[in-house]
Amino acid sequence: MKEQQETANRPDNTAFTQQRLPAWQPMLSAGIVIPGFVIIGLAFIGIGIALFVTSQNIQVLERDYTGVENNSPCFKCSDPSTKNCVCKLDFSLDKLFEGPVFFYYGLSNYFQNYRKYGVSRDDRQLSGRLDNFQSPDEGCVPYQYDANNKPIVPCGSVANSLFNDTFKLYQIVNGARKLVPFDGKGIAWWTDHNVKYRNPSITPLKNAFNGTVKPTFWSKPAYELDPSDPANNGFVNQDFLVWMRRAALPDFRKLYRRITEGDYKNGLPAGNYSLEIAYNYPVLDFDGRKKVVFSNVSWMGGKNQFLGIAYLVIGSLCVVMSIVMLIVYAKFKFPDEE
Amino acid sequence: ASRARDTTKEDGKEKLLRKRVRERDIRKLVSNLPYEGLEKMKQPNRHFPGNAIKTTKYTLLFFIPMNLFEQFHRLANIYFLGLAILNFVPVVNAFQPEVALIPICVILALTALKDGWEDFRRYQSDRKLNNTPCFIYCRKEQQFVERRWKDVRVGDFVKVICNEIIPADLLLLHTSDPNGVCHIETANLDGETNLKQRRVVPDLTVENGSLTFSCCREKPDNVKVGIGIESLLLRGCTVRNTDHTVGFVVYAGHETKSMLNNNGPRYKRSKLERKLNTDVIFCIILLFAMCLVGALGHFSWLQELPSVPPYLVPDSHGHLDSPALSGFYMFFTMIILLQVLIPISLYVSIELVKIGQVFFITNDIDLYDEESDTPMQCRALNITEDLGQIQYIFSDKTGTLTENKMVFRRCTVMGTEYPHCENGKASSSGKTDPYLDFFLALAICNTVVVSTATVRRQRVSAPFTVTLDGEERWRTKVGSFRQTISSWRPMSNRSRTSSNCSVLEEDHFNSLAKTGNCGGRKSTGPQTQDTSPSLRYEAESPDEAALVHAAKAYGFTLLARTPGSVTVRLPCGEELVFEVLDTLAFDSHRKRMSVLVRHPVTSELVLYTKGADYAIMELLGTPYAEQLKGKQKRIAADTQRHLDCYAKEGLRTLCFTKKVLSERAYKDWSVSRQGALAAIDNREKLIMDTAGLLETNLTLLGNTRVRIEDRLQESVPDTIVALREAGIQVWVLTGDKPETAVNIGYACRLLDEGDLVINMSSKNKVRRMLIFNTSFTQQSFLSALSSRSKSKRINQFFFCSVTAHFTEVRRYGNDPTGLAPTISLVIDGRTLAMALESDLVDRFVDLARRCRSVLCCRVTPLQKSAVVKVIREKLKVMTLAVGDGANDVNMIQAADVGIGISGQEGMQAVMASDFAISRFKHLKKLLLVHGHWCYTRLANMIIYFFYKNAYVNLLFWYQFFCGFSGTAMIDYWLMIFFNLFFTSAPPIMFGIMDKDVSAETLLGLPELYRTGQGTGEYKFSTFWTAMLDAFYQSLVCFFIPYWVYEDSDIDVFTFGTPLNTVSLFTILLHLSIEIKTWTVVHWVIMLGSVAVYFIVTLAYSAICVTCNPPSNPYWILQSQMADPMFYLTCIITTVLALLPRYPQYSHIYTSKHDTFAKHITYKPRSTQNPANDDSMEKKWCGGPESPLVHWTQNS
Repeated sequence: MKEQQETANRPDNTAFTQQRLPAWQPMLSAGIVIPGFVIIGLAFIGIGIALFVTSQNIQVLERDYTGVENNSPCFKCSDPSTKNCVCKLDFSLDKLFEGPVFFYYGLSNYFQNYRKYGVSRDDRQLSGRLDNFQSPDEGCVPYQYDANNKPIVPCGSVANSLFNDTFKLYQIVNGARKLVPFDGKGIAWWTDHNVKYRNPSITPLKNAFNGTVKPTFWSKPAYELDPSDPANNGFVNQDFLVWMRRAALPDFRKLYRRITEGDYKNGLPAGNYSLEIAYNYPVLDFDGRKKVVFSNVSWMGGKNQFLGIAYLVIGSLCVVMSIVMLIVYAKFKFPDEE
Repeated sequence: ASRARDTTKEDGKEKLLRKRVRERDIRKLVSNLPYEGLEKMKQPNRHFPGNAIKTTKYTLLFFIPMNLFEQFHRLANIYFLGLAILNFVPVVNAFQPEVALIPICVILALTALKDGWEDFRRYQSDRKLNNTPCFIYCRKEQQFVERRWKDVRVGDFVKVICNEIIPADLLLLHTSDPNGVCHIETANLDGETNLKQRRVVPDLTVENGSLTFSCCREKPDNVKVGIGIESLLLRGCTVRNTDHTVGFVVYAGHETKSMLNNNGPRYKRSKLERKLNTDVIFCIILLFAMCLVGALGHFSWLQELPSVPPYLVPDSHGHLDSPALSGFYMFFTMIILLQVLIPISLYVSIELVKIGQVFFITNDIDLYDEESDTPMQCRALNITEDLGQIQYIFSDKTGTLTENKMVFRRCTVMGTEYPHCENGKASSSGKTDPYLDFFLALAICNTVVVSTATVRRQRVSAPFTVTLDGEERWRTKVGSFRQTISSWRPMSNRSRTSSNCSVLEEDHFNSLAKTGNCGGRKSTGPQTQDTSPSLRYEAESPDEAALVHAAKAYGFTLLARTPGSVTVRLPCGEELVFEVLDTLAFDSHRKRMSVLVRHPVTSELVLYTKGADYAIMELLGTPYAEQLKGKQKRIAADTQRHLDCYAKEGLRTLCFTKKVLSERAYKDWSVSRQGALAAIDNREKLIMDTAGLLETNLTLLGNTRVRIEDRLQESVPDTIVALREAGIQVWVLTGDKPETAVNIGYACRLLDEGDLVINMSSKNKVRRMLIFNTSFTQQSFLSALSSRSKSKRINQFFFCSVTAHFTEVRRYGNDPTGLAPTISLVIDGRTLAMALESDLVDRFVDLARRCRSVLCCRVTPLQKSAVVKVIREKLKVMTLAVGDGANDVNMIQAADVGIGISGQEGMQAVMASDFAISRFKHLKKLLLVHGHWCYTRLANMIIYFFYKNAYVNLLFWYQFFCGFSGTAMIDYWLMIFFNLFFTSAPPIMFGIMDKDVSAETLLGLPELYRTGQGTGEYKFSTFWTAMLDAFYQSLVCFFIPYWVYEDSDIDVFTFGTPLNTVSLFTILLHLSIEIKTWTVVHWVIMLGSVAVYFIVTLAYSAICVTCNPPSNPYWILQSQMADPMFYLTCIITTVLALLPRYPQYSHIYTSKHDTFAKHITYKPRSTQNPANDDSMEKKWCGGPESPLVHWTQNS
């Protein structure tokens, strides 16, 4: 009892308070570092080869159709004054373009990541809240109300600038044009289509839009975006969803359709093709470019050489470094030990 | 200034006066009793605050505004608030306005929480204190009734019972003690545990026992009575040894002395923190540069556009701002976006880290003193890292290097020297008269309070058992001492019977002896043994106790002390009661104390003075006894010689003198004394002056010497050697004599035998001249320099010598052979005073800088702090002062780091210090291990913090791809979480727990301490290296994902997710490269951080569907984690980002390894060193000049 009293202020003698916890000190000795570098290097080289080979096997076909040059088939359409212009882009494949083929449209120098542009939308409206149909969010200014003070639905800059070129692909078989069927289902994110974007639960959909106007840039209202499929209208229209997911970089592509059906299930056979483009979207006034891209995909997504090369380079770098270290080690280690 | 000026009764006086009563110098108080029961308006003392105290800073209602006001005193908080407000301006906002408030709110909330908790604890202790019971006199019930402390008002009569704490500042009116004395313990105020006496207000005769307060009131009250501190009971003290006391409340609540002295905790800014602030400024410059790039980029990007693209959003009128204006706005948007570059959580994190560091320091069992049961105390919480950068240590000697446990060892009486074991001879030598006087002086001349075992003190608080233990040890020591005494005592008694009572007739003691009692008495040995257990001496300083115990051991037992009398039992058993006429207390200016007593037998007025030898020697006037006149010179010379011998042995010496006063001289003096005592202004100074008057004018010599052993504390030499190896210069500043200091210097290995010791001292005869001459120093110094003539003038000689010394020293210092001996400097107080004059101070500092060790002797407390200040300011070094006594307080406060040793001399040094240790040897581990750790930990953590916040560069690089529009590709909530949760714990843990080198290595190789000195690890270049590294890493972290996802259909936030993940891994792995040792805690926190990141982000991605527009985190991480490309990108990016760190790490590792190897190879060499030293020594000793150059100036 007395002893306890005497040492009442004695600090706890535990490993933690005395900073004596069992500790592991990473000692990077040559015996660990050199083999470590070799293993990492070899692993990286392996990954790099796999990535590179995969990427090499991906076929990509890109065609610019902006129509800047005079000889370009869409040159006539590039003039903003021409309305409902249609141009044809011909190309030929000399071997089978393996399926499933993804068909993208691409824009360059288009800053969908511009901050004020990105803010200019009303997510509540897009999730189907009718309140926001009548009074859209402030962020949508100046695409909140039209000149007659009617609410714009969908409001905002992003929706307003919806890409509205349309494409039809024909295969030229013996001089006759054979329509290649496009699959427009599931090109947007599943979560966007099923969770994030919702139409108001009013049937017919048109009634929900009563008292609202379509965005100024649009030719048809939101509930008539896809006349062929009533379920693909309103805010859950696939093209609309794809557009609304803003691209991270100014040069981007967006998925337009997939080719998965009929004769083209296994890809596009070799032959001549004609792409019929309804040219609506003006890009020349901001030095933009438009293109179409056919690509097939692998487990690593689209074609990208960079990652494979990067792995190869860094893998080799590791191996080289380990060799250098081995030489240095061999040269300097032994005199040191004397 | 007089604290208590009080007229105990005042009838209803003019109201006007009362209204101003609080502003006036003189405090007029009225008893509350006549007004009892009246409403508040009629109470005379209503203007004075009540006794309830409130130390809380906030009130419940106004906590938030007051705390916010407090917090916005911090510049960083204003900065972040400004940014948050800026975000509400629509043209410049970067995020949703509300969102930008989150970080500042979290920081403010955390700090407020901490403040609130602290305040709540204060509130609780206040409430507990305010509700402590006490007794207040109630007129209605004619007795003391139990009330609470908060009910006590000025003008009340309060009764305090033994061992209770005094509730307010009381004027002592009555005690249970018949002598009108009350004993108090002031441990709660200043930590001193010895008892102090307070006496009842004089001239206030109260019938003993049946105290009625009506008698107080009825007394006519026209006489003004001056009342000093000796009648004041201060709040917070504890009543001891007194059954009960009654006092009149003069100050209550916040006006009490203890509350007025209760300043908040000391705030010192550490060196590292000052440096940190400059780096914050660099960060601000960097931030502005980046924002400027953003603004210009946005401007030129807009300029380049040929027309308005669909993604440019005009305002509501369809109008677009001009590029220049947009660029201007963009500057502010960028500041908001990149604000994280200024680390908002840095200051909070540093505070947390320091709390952790303090926890580990205080809990170190090696810094715990078993004997006194005191652990290390950190009193300043924010300068732990300064411990790792110390370059100069200034140490006190007594009590710091030495034990300060005083043992009476030897004495010189009448020029004859006696070790204590031979004291028998002293008695038998026949010269009993001075011996009697000497021992009487020993017993009387002190302020030791005797407490008897019957009224044993009950200790309430455990912490202050220091002196108790000391006393216990004392008792045993004295016991053994007594053993040795008893061996000679029979002889002594025999001699006494023969000599005492018959031979010596000159002195009154013999007349006393003649009364015949003495001779017939038996041996006193058993008697002292009988009485010893019941007596307990409470001394203010250990040497007083030592002397009283010594006197007791020789038979002169101090039995009791009251303010008016001292009772001493003589060896022969006689009890003498001396009437004490006055006590001139010890102060550091006079360095002595005196007691004026009236001898009970002869009625002579005798003044006994005790003091430091040099303080006494100057005052010696006529010889002690006429018949010794012829021998006087010899005796003085012998005494001086003995004194020097004692000093060399490291003993403290004290002189005792005696003076017989004539009745008239006393009367004259007492008039002036009374005047001084009754004075209100300048009272203390006047009292001191009168004391000086009595002591100086008429001093007689009783040439008796006491020596006290001053043992070195354990492991002091080891500690000093280690500190010196660590590159720390150790200075000893002591009030002792040079001989003592030099001796201790050798003993603690501050000085080596081979050292060249420069001894600078001036004897007192030339002092005046030198002081006189110093007024011409500039001139004479110049002339001395220019003429170089061998002038006989002292001043020139002095300065020539000084100059010569400097050049000599410089020559040694520059000796290329390196064989020159190390130089040590011994300087005394007077010479030091001259050296610190403005014209010599640079040379002195220059000389001192080249010396390995410096000893300053006979320095005053003020000089101690002056030395510290000079060195600190001139050399721009980190200084540490360590001391244990009140005389070290100045020095402790002047140094960058003040360390108090909780030893024998009270707690004043500890109260003033930043850190309190109990033994000097603890300094070794405190500095070499904890100091090093704290410094490296904090320095590395701060650098890491800057590095970590450069993570925001990712956003900056992205601006190049979004038209410099201020877009963030990472969800803002995740960005905030990133800083607040995902990456905050690891650096804090790193700052608290990392160990770059183990404690054993640090103690074994003190050289490692040098890494922290000077600029240390936290250099300018370190900061920029870290920032460059951060830039490189952010480039890698941005561009690898960029190239991976280039030309794909990736969307903004899907692109941001791998960036965020990669940054997290890079930042954490970077830290794990920095971490030198991994413990369980490290693993848990590092892996935990990664886990928290994924869990929180996944949960957030799953829950947040439309919660934070325009960002769109919904299901993004989930989809990314299903994509193998995500992992591949993360791996390659992290590896590439950290690749430059590996060679750097291995470089550091090898260089550290090299230093280790060097030290290891050095070690055997250094053990061989003695041989070298020997040869060196020989060379020096054999030379024409002795290595020990004594440069002593005599006239």
